[in-house]
Amino acid sequence: MTRNSEAALLVAASGLAAFGVILVNLAGGGGVDAQVALTFLVFLIGFGGFHLAIRQWAPTASPHLLPLAAVITALGFVEVYRLDPDRSALQRWWLLIGGTLAVALMFALRRGGLSVLRRYRYVFLLSAVVLVLLPLLPVSGPVPLRGLVQNGSRLWVRLSLGVTTLQFQPGELTKLLLVVFLASYLAERQPALTGMTRKLGPFRIPEPRQLVPVFLAWAVSFAVLVYQRDLGASLLLFAVFIAMLYAATGRSAYLTTGGLLFGAGAVLAWSTFSHVQRRVSAWLSPFADYDDTGYQIAQSIFAMGTGSLSGSGLGLGRPFLIPNAETDFVFAALGEELGLAGTVAVLAAYALLVAVAFGISLRGKDLFRKLLAGGLAFVLGLQTFLIIGGVVRLLPLTGITLPFMSYGGSSLVSNFLLLALLARVSHEERA
Amino acid sequence: MNGPTRRLAVALLAGFALLLLNVTYVQAIAGPRYRDDPRNERTALTRIGKERGMIVSADGTVLAESVASSDDPQRFLRRYPEGEVFAHAVGYTSLRFGDDAVEDAYADDLRSRRDLTISDLLAALLGRDLRPRSVQLTIDADLQRTAFEALNGQAGAVVALRPDTGEVLALVSAPSFDPNGFVGPDAVTERERLLEDARQPLLDRATGESYSPGSTFKVVVAAAAIEEAVAGPESRFPDPLELTLPGSTAVIRNFDRGPCGSGDTVTLREAFRKSCNTIFGQLAMDLGAELLSTQANRFGFNQEIPFQWNPLTSFFPAAGSFENDLPGLAQSGIGERDVQATPFQMALVASAVANQGIMMRPFLVKRVADADGEVLRETEAEIYDRAVAPATAELLAGMMEQVVTNGTGGRAAVSGVRVAGKTGTAQADQGAPDVWFIGFAPVDDPTIAVAVVIEDGGAVGESATGGSVAAPVAQRVLAQWLQSRP
Repeated sequence: MTRNSEAALLVAASGLAAFGVILVNLAGGGGVDAQVALTFLVFLIGFGGFHLAIRQWAPTASPHLLPLAAVITALGFVEVYRLDPDRSALQRWWLLIGGTLAVALMFALRRGGLSVLRRYRYVFLLSAVVLVLLPLLPVSGPVPLRGLVQNGSRLWVRLSLGVTTLQFQPGELTKLLLVVFLASYLAERQPALTGMTRKLGPFRIPEPRQLVPVFLAWAVSFAVLVYQRDLGASLLLFAVFIAMLYAATGRSAYLTTGGLLFGAGAVLAWSTFSHVQRRVSAWLSPFADYDDTGYQIAQSIFAMGTGSLSGSGLGLGRPFLIPNAETDFVFAALGEELGLAGTVAVLAAYALLVAVAFGISLRGKDLFRKLLAGGLAFVLGLQTFLIIGGVVRLLPLTGITLPFMSYGGSSLVSNFLLLALLARVSHEERA
Repeated sequence: MNGPTRRLAVALLAGFALLLLNVTYVQAIAGPRYRDDPRNERTALTRIGKERGMIVSADGTVLAESVASSDDPQRFLRRYPEGEVFAHAVGYTSLRFGDDAVEDAYADDLRSRRDLTISDLLAALLGRDLRPRSVQLTIDADLQRTAFEALNGQAGAVVALRPDTGEVLALVSAPSFDPNGFVGPDAVTERERLLEDARQPLLDRATGESYSPGSTFKVVVAAAAIEEAVAGPESRFPDPLELTLPGSTAVIRNFDRGPCGSGDTVTLREAFRKSCNTIFGQLAMDLGAELLSTQANRFGFNQEIPFQWNPLTSFFPAAGSFENDLPGLAQSGIGERDVQATPFQMALVASAVANQGIMMRPFLVKRVADADGEVLRETEAEIYDRAVAPATAELLAGMMEQVVTNGTGGRAAVSGVRVAGKTGTAQADQGAPDVWFIGFAPVDDPTIAVAVVIEDGGAVGESATGGSVAAPVAQRVLAQWLQSRP
């Protein structure tokens, strides 16, 4: 596949978004209007600009990344537009901002490459820590930067700038910073980490002090769970940490320890916190407490079940019955209107995107870049798996966004940056 | 070097495979179940303002129809021209409260399939008819109205069946409600009002409420005695002033607290005609729990009787529960204690006696037709159960006829027609009795069987009996039916 076919596919994805908007308009009694043109243009500019930046500064990057992301974004956008046109207008701005920031990142890395990032790895670690802590800022106070409680979780930050306020979820960016830091740190320490083992009877176990960071990461994740009530971010951070340790060292002892710690944490959280218990019971039997805790999951299942094979058609279902349909539950909303055909297509697109990202890691030579691409692929894949798993009731609901599809600026921007990093890795490995 | 990353990738992609399986299950395999779940409003929401099929009575009276809204001809409103008279049979369709009765049981036929969903478009491409179908009931509109008027506002129910087919000719529950009140902006307040009404107008007393059958249950006891040759109509029983119950201080007395007949002994026929509790209490004990409970079950007690919806199951205690309780058995023999029957059940008992012991499967919907009037489905009469042998049924019919000609059921008599019946006055622990009449006519070729129950003595109160309060209602129903047919 060439750069030109990538461009053609991006135009097609923009067309898909515009066509979806037309269908939603038709279902509501409207037709072709300014929304259609605006959507087409914004997609063209957002992804087209990103594409041009890749042509300019990373010409040998994989051409598969952007089209896959674009088609997922387009489907998500159409569903957000269908649910809430006002929010979709904001989402278009976020798409432009995400594209711009991705271009800026490509530009920043054009000469020094990704190795520039390695130099600042402790800056990233520090920023990650600060970002994790940000939502715990006082909800009200003299500082213009405040925490925000929403749906019982503290994962938002509100920045007051004179007349306007800006809200964002720092957790979305944290995962990127953490991956960059870990890739760089582990690439450096890899030989030492791999070498250090101790014999305990017939077993080879890692040096006890090597496991200290594992316990530390677990403690931080658990703190996120306790203080921010954010199951998704907590699990994601811990899992990425363990996965990258494992990828760097190949020591399955990390997986075992991580798994045991996760199990212990899960049991502890479940037995201590009512909000975790509610999530679990809503997952196990959403219809038993239909009117209260089970309502959201039940509606999600009803929506997808009603959508059946072919769906109701865009704009013809009733996805607004699902609480938070345009954010966490956008997958269920899509399932109602596009049916199994739509959900399978979306799942396939995600699987391909994750596979491409892992492919970049596997084909790489440089350890840092391999770990970086692998970590990004893992974080993207796991986040997608967790939230869709929650929506289809395979897993308890964790309440994180669906990359590229959910409404939300922090999420869209972070995932654009994730794409830019992946594109850069694949360029450097092929150049 | 790549091993661990590859394993992570495989693990994640395996997770995606699980998601695929899961989503396939939710949408394709379990999809229809979730779509039709009553808590899922989606199907109901697509029906708002959509045309819905007509429901008509056996004689073509419109019972429910969709009328195009005056300001938007694309929007339809449901109308029930007969209002409260048919409310419990026809039911209602409501987005907020769900559907009820025939509107619920035949929702799938009555709904329009023109809702622009892709699956319906596919059905249209395959040449399926998307227009709503109409449903014709077995109910005779005039008979239904007569029954409703005959109850005259008293709380109770009337069920009329055609003995040889099982068709429901009338299904009335009072007090009733106007289903038109469930359509439109005031539906919520209207429903609240009905739910709070102490007279429970929403309760379907015909199939959804049970009462002590009282002396109407003597038909079942007599049937068991004749069927098992324990006693015949002419068998003689001692006639005590009161029946002392073994192992107990309780006694069973007759309604007038006197003996049944004028001599030392009395025939079963006379005891049945005069509805003597002493004799039937003794007979129940003579029969034993096993025979009595078997006979009750054959008449439909303890059975889930197939119908357009699930009627409440009537109850007769299991034989084993009487093991050390002969008094209980004697009291059950006169339809008291734990015996519970719906009016629907007692109408089936009467219809089985009328139809030579054969109980037909009761049904309320005669046929379903498409929008062009073409009949799509027609309900066939079929045998549900054989309750007693034809000879037994004939003897019972004779005994029941004498109840009307020369017994407690005199007020059910229709001039020029042979009417059979049995009264019942179920004593409550306190307050007025629930009163019954079950019967059929004409005796030589029955075309109607009926059960009437009136709660708490109706307008008469404490002194009410089945013969004085329920029998006249049955009389009007029988007369209307027999006189409207040459």
